[in-house]
Amino acid sequence: MSKEGGSDQFSGRMGLIFASIGAAIGTGNIWRFPRMVGANGGGTFLIPWLFFLFAWSIPLVIAEYAMGKRSRTGTIGTFRIFAGKKFAWMGLWTAWISTAIGFYYAVVSGWTIKYFQLGITGALNGEGVDTTEVWNAFLQSSGQVIFFQFLVIVLTLAAILKGAKAIEKVNIYLMVSLFALLFLTLFLSLWMDLSDGTLDGALFMFTVDFDMLFEPEVWINGLSQSAWSCSAGMGMCITYAVYMSKDEDTVLNAFTMGLANNSISIIAGLAVLSAIFAVSDDPLATVTGGSSAITFLALPEVFAQAPGGNIGPLFMMAGFFLALSFAAMTSMISTVELCVRNFVDHGYDRKTSVFITGAAIFFFGIPSAVMWIKLDSAGVAFPEFLEVQDHIWGYGLMFSGLFIAYTIWQYGYKKWQADVEQGLAEPGFKGYLTTGVPAFRNDFINTGDNDMYVNRIWDILIYIAFPVLFIILMASYFGDMIANTDDVWNPSNPHGLGIILMFWGVVGGLFIALNKLLVSRPLYRNVPEGAECDISMLPGGDDQMIVLVGESAPDLQ
Amino acid sequence: MSSKVVAISTRPSFGFIIALPLLLSLLAPIANASVAQEEPTGMAPEDVWSYDYANMIFPWADEGERILQFKEYHTYETMKLRMMRLAEDNPNIFEFHEGLLGGTNARGEVVGADAYEGWYYGHSSPWLKITGNVKGGDYNPFVGDKGNYEDRHDVMIVGNHHAREWMSYQTPILVMEVIAFSYGNIGYDNDGDGQVDEDPWGDADGDGVLDDDGDCLALDASFQDSNGDGTPCGAGDLGVDEDYSEQWITDLVNRREIYLIPMLNVDGNIYDREEYCAAPAWESCPTSGWRKNLRDNTVTGVTPMPDLDEEVDPSCDGVDLNRNYQFEWGAPLGATGPLFPGMCYNPMGGGNNDVYNGPVDTVDQDGDFRLNEDHVDGKDDDGDGLTDEDWLGGNSEPETKFIQDMTEMNDDNADGASEFKATLTFHSFSELVLYPWGHCTNCESPDHQQLIYHGDQMAEMTQYTNMQSSDLYPTSGDFCDWHYGVHGSYCYTMEIGTAFHQHEDDVDHIAVRNLGVAFYMTEVADNPRERADLAMSDITNQSLQTPDEVNIPDEGNIPIDMCIDKNFPYSLDVSDSHVMWRTVKPSRMQSDYGPREWSTTGWTNTLFEVVDSENCVIGESKNGTILRASLDISETTTGELHYKVMLGTLSGGDLYEYPAQGSYYTLDLSYREAYGSVLGSLFLFAIVAGFVWGGLAVCLRMMLSDDEEFIDLADAVLEEEMKTED
Repeated sequence: MSKEGGSDQFSGRMGLIFASIGAAIGTGNIWRFPRMVGANGGGTFLIPWLFFLFAWSIPLVIAEYAMGKRSRTGTIGTFRIFAGKKFAWMGLWTAWISTAIGFYYAVVSGWTIKYFQLGITGALNGEGVDTTEVWNAFLQSSGQVIFFQFLVIVLTLAAILKGAKAIEKVNIYLMVSLFALLFLTLFLSLWMDLSDGTLDGALFMFTVDFDMLFEPEVWINGLSQSAWSCSAGMGMCITYAVYMSKDEDTVLNAFTMGLANNSISIIAGLAVLSAIFAVSDDPLATVTGGSSAITFLALPEVFAQAPGGNIGPLFMMAGFFLALSFAAMTSMISTVELCVRNFVDHGYDRKTSVFITGAAIFFFGIPSAVMWIKLDSAGVAFPEFLEVQDHIWGYGLMFSGLFIAYTIWQYGYKKWQADVEQGLAEPGFKGYLTTGVPAFRNDFINTGDNDMYVNRIWDILIYIAFPVLFIILMASYFGDMIANTDDVWNPSNPHGLGIILMFWGVVGGLFIALNKLLVSRPLYRNVPEGAECDISMLPGGDDQMIVLVGESAPDLQ
Repeated sequence: MSSKVVAISTRPSFGFIIALPLLLSLLAPIANASVAQEEPTGMAPEDVWSYDYANMIFPWADEGERILQFKEYHTYETMKLRMMRLAEDNPNIFEFHEGLLGGTNARGEVVGADAYEGWYYGHSSPWLKITGNVKGGDYNPFVGDKGNYEDRHDVMIVGNHHAREWMSYQTPILVMEVIAFSYGNIGYDNDGDGQVDEDPWGDADGDGVLDDDGDCLALDASFQDSNGDGTPCGAGDLGVDEDYSEQWITDLVNRREIYLIPMLNVDGNIYDREEYCAAPAWESCPTSGWRKNLRDNTVTGVTPMPDLDEEVDPSCDGVDLNRNYQFEWGAPLGATGPLFPGMCYNPMGGGNNDVYNGPVDTVDQDGDFRLNEDHVDGKDDDGDGLTDEDWLGGNSEPETKFIQDMTEMNDDNADGASEFKATLTFHSFSELVLYPWGHCTNCESPDHQQLIYHGDQMAEMTQYTNMQSSDLYPTSGDFCDWHYGVHGSYCYTMEIGTAFHQHEDDVDHIAVRNLGVAFYMTEVADNPRERADLAMSDITNQSLQTPDEVNIPDEGNIPIDMCIDKNFPYSLDVSDSHVMWRTVKPSRMQSDYGPREWSTTGWTNTLFEVVDSENCVIGESKNGTILRASLDISETTTGELHYKVMLGTLSGGDLYEYPAQGSYYTLDLSYREAYGSVLGSLFLFAIVAGFVWGGLAVCLRMMLSDDEEFIDLADAVLEEEMKTED
């Protein structure tokens, strides 16, 4: 196959797995997870968190893999094919949310590299180092923040420029190093915690408070951690599934990715909590402070007290922040790739796509890097513009997941109706249950390539659990926001709901308006040789503008 | 020169004040000559006030109407006509009554309206019911009053128990005039100085000077003692407490039911005026006159038997109404009964029995064939389980029965207790404020401190002397002992003026001087005890524990203490007094990049309990009362505790918030529970690790074996191909 216009795919199973895990594991595992454990009763939190891995994240990831593997396009193409021409904008939304997050995620990734640099040079563990001063000084020097943001983007672009093979290679190296570094940190943390006689950090992390277990708040937090940390429903897996070989097992991959994600969370959580419990007077207050605060203020202080003279703290500091930067980088890679894939699908040259995306992420990220750097009540600097971006787009991720579920529901319903017309299925609710509901599962998941088959449980999770949980999640967050924010509907309040709805309205409205233009363009599917990706039964199946890579779209002839 | 005047005016002597205008007129030209720029320090009244005010001309009548201007005394007839006139002109707030309609009273007696008519002239006491929308409330058929409202507290203002004490009815009449004029007349400039409501009664700004706006003090010293009592700018002087708030009076009228009885003893008053003292009475009997009512005391002493003598027998007839009330009636202090039935004269004193308390009761009220075995003193004297049910005597007169039935038949909320929490009676003379008890010496009532407090307030605004009634002289059966002793009403006797028959030139300023007292009592009539308690409490030093002071125990509820003044009339009802608290957890909305955010739970109210075993330090004193609320906060709670206090008074009328309105304290909560057990955590670790790592291992194993199969398959295919090639 020719390099130009040919299909692109991972060389093997491990490549896909590592890339997916890399996408799933981000800073959320390392700084959000310990905070959630601390704030939700230690081990108590693990129970809902694990439950929702299986009830929310893995079913969605299975769906994403299945869709991407069949459509062989990025998010826009996938929705165009699976949901129909009218719904290509959903894919654009998914791509936009991911990219918009990428704008500021590059800045955050830059922070982690800066802290690796500080750690390795020993700047964080001398006598009398005030970690707040270090943090404030860094955040307030725009040049430095932009430099590290730029560095992250350059590294990311370098990693993805060459396509799937390069992505998998980088991810394998980074992920293996991440595991190793986290284990190193964990080892040192446990040593620290044990040196005062008790492993109280570990004890806390694995002790259930049965009173708290029945608090809805803990379950909502477990759901949110699972929903946001695992990248489920965000389109990452659709994107990486494009590069799957034909006989990839989508279900097994989903389980592997989800479990690996949670494994890393446990290791990181244990490392962070043990270290903090080893030295802090009020460890829970420390661990439940703002996230960047734990990571960039508390942890350096804690790590500085690691055993082993100068070497221990140095190892711990450098190791931890390097691991953190690797976690951030791999997520950055998937974010950029998600966007790039959509460009490539629409006929853009990969190199051009990569540079366009990289430049966009850099320039649109600059405000997050330098604007509205404020001090909170404790005198700690924080980037308010970045926070507001996160506030606006973070919740949008959940809608990407909703669109995926919607696509599945719609497919099942249409399939059933078509079958009824042809006399293949019974009309009525019973017929819908037996023919419509399992249609997506039968047609795209249990295709014969999988070792693991999914049964009715998946249908139940996608058709019932997902919408219920989605509503609970959004209602609890937005309800909380409405209850706790002054002037919540005013769109000029950066922490309100009004600003979220306004930006969503503008972006969503724009995308719906652009939908016609979007589907008038040819879409090039990345179907590897030998992979049968028949889409004739899908709404996009009769779309003449959807062609394989290398082919020409009819109108352009 | 001017300093000389100031120095002298601080210690004025009567002679000097009289001579002052002369002195000033002599010295003024010299002053002008010597210090050209210096103006005289003082001003004349008409420089400051309107002509009317400066000449004490009341705004409700022409200058020439001497009675309405309080330059001449009202008689019973003019007073009654004026009351009727004002009731007709102010139908919304005034309703005119005479006596009561009657019916079955609180003691089960069937009485007619004639029961309240004076013995001799046959008039019932005229009175006004004063309240907002006076004809729109509940109807009281016994009283004949349509202005009863459950949520308005009642106040009774009574004048002229004693016939000759003429200022004691003139003052309530002035109260009536002021209410009629001020109600709804918001922002009236009483003194015409261009300012409104700038000088209310009493020392409103707390600087120790009654003249809050300083207009009297700004006058030339010669004008500062307009009432000539020797005190410059004292109570009753022009410019002192002269511009009260009409809004306040209007609100008072709308919030209270005022029962204004200016002349209780009509019989005696007519007799005193027309028969006993020759006009002008202030010359014929300034400090004497007719005191009692006109009961026709018989030679036999047995009431039903009529006296053959149709005329009043001044040497024998009459009952001292203010010794005739039932509470501790007949106690041999300051009142006299006949030594034996039929005697009119006090054999010990030899003179007119001016304090005769009325006949001994002859009815066996409880029908137990024992007479008068349980007299009215609030105790069950005969141990039969009933209190005060068979009295010794008292309330035998139409006038005192009128007061008794008026009091006892006014029960808007039907709880059996009198509605009159505040009562006021005017007498003459001595410039005193008297509070119960009267019947015992060296005794204190349960509300002693509180009674002193309100007495002090009224003494301040009148510049009279506040004292316990019995410290003047003991009296039994008086109005206030009965009101306070039987009905718990805060009752004050104002001994106003300096004579029984005050010279008519003094009527206006003495009435003005005592005007504020009536409004003060009206104001405090909702809950006088609590108002006194609050005023006496060191509320500013009451404090809620700050977060630093809270002692968080290792386990269990967290106590939050409030230190309050021992006098503070706190309520322990959780709806009035409570700690409002909420725990604040890290918010799930916490952004990954921003400052710490909190998620609040709703406020919870926790009730207070009194800690008896300890006292707290409040201000300088170490005997504050500790109120403690025990907050049910689990040991595993972390984050912040927000707390504040709402402290309500017993009546629920006042609410105090701590630390300050709209704010709260924040206390950091740390985890108080053990972090976990080794065994339990090992168990959960095994489960979690089994699920996550075990699951991951299984997945990876399946994946790798797949790859092996694939490799095997590929190898097989290759081999096959090679074979076929071969």
